[in-house]
Amino acid sequence: MDLNRLGIFKLMSDKMAWDNQRQEVLAQNVSNSDTPSYQAQDLVPFDFKHQLREAGHLDLVSTDPAHLSASSTGVGGFRSAKDRTAYETSPTGNAVVLEDQMTKIGQNAIDFQALTNLYRKQIGMLKMALGKGSG
Amino acid sequence: MDLMNALNLSTAGMKAQGTRLRVIAENLANTDSTAASPGDLPYRRKVVLFANSLDKALGINTVNVKKVDVDRSDFQRKFDPGHPSADSEGYVLMPNVNGLVESMDMREAQRSYEANLGVIDATRTMLTKTIDLLRN
Repeated sequence: MDLNRLGIFKLMSDKMAWDNQRQEVLAQNVSNSDTPSYQAQDLVPFDFKHQLREAGHLDLVSTDPAHLSASSTGVGGFRSAKDRTAYETSPTGNAVVLEDQMTKIGQNAIDFQALTNLYRKQIGMLKMALGKGSG
Repeated sequence: MDLMNALNLSTAGMKAQGTRLRVIAENLANTDSTAASPGDLPYRRKVVLFANSLDKALGINTVNVKKVDVDRSDFQRKFDPGHPSADSEGYVLMPNVNGLVESMDMREAQRSYEANLGVIDATRTMLTKTIDLLRN
């Protein structure tokens, strides 16, 4: 059984994919905190409503590898944009505020942890429904 | 995988800051490296230039040291007539290394290095949490 066919699992794994990708973007910002004229980037916020609508969609079945995929989102397909809310820009044109980035990274890690806990809980509930214990 | 890429990115950042620290150490070690004879130039301060460029093996943009260039500011002059490289007026050209500037630079490199370490820590926690999903 594909767990991703259950709406909640699909949503959770989408959010986890978003967190994963955001971690990469934030890591890039931090590693470029001294690169001249580098501007910080961030992912476009995760839109729960949008994802929910996507989760309810029926995708076209592809029976041949040559078939084009009809789904608009996939893992790693979240858009990133320049962060224009930078608090300060250094004389070299670098607009990475290390404090902001570290806060975002902390936030991201906490969100991710919350999601993995939720995921585990859901699996536990499914198992309980199947009569295997472990709630 | 995104988290692995995040780890690689932070590693690249730490490498770049490590190179910067090495150059700072070189500058500090050469604070008194004067020329051997009059007319020659003493040690010139070096600076690192960072750039964000594509790592073809990983397929992501990583930070790296583009170039180690020299600081073109003027040398200091010190009056020391007995020095082997003193000119006819008794002045010796000293390297354009300023201890204060170097130590501030060093502190900055250290902070950036720590920030990258922090990212690795957070990323590793996320990876561990993902793997922990299997254990239930």
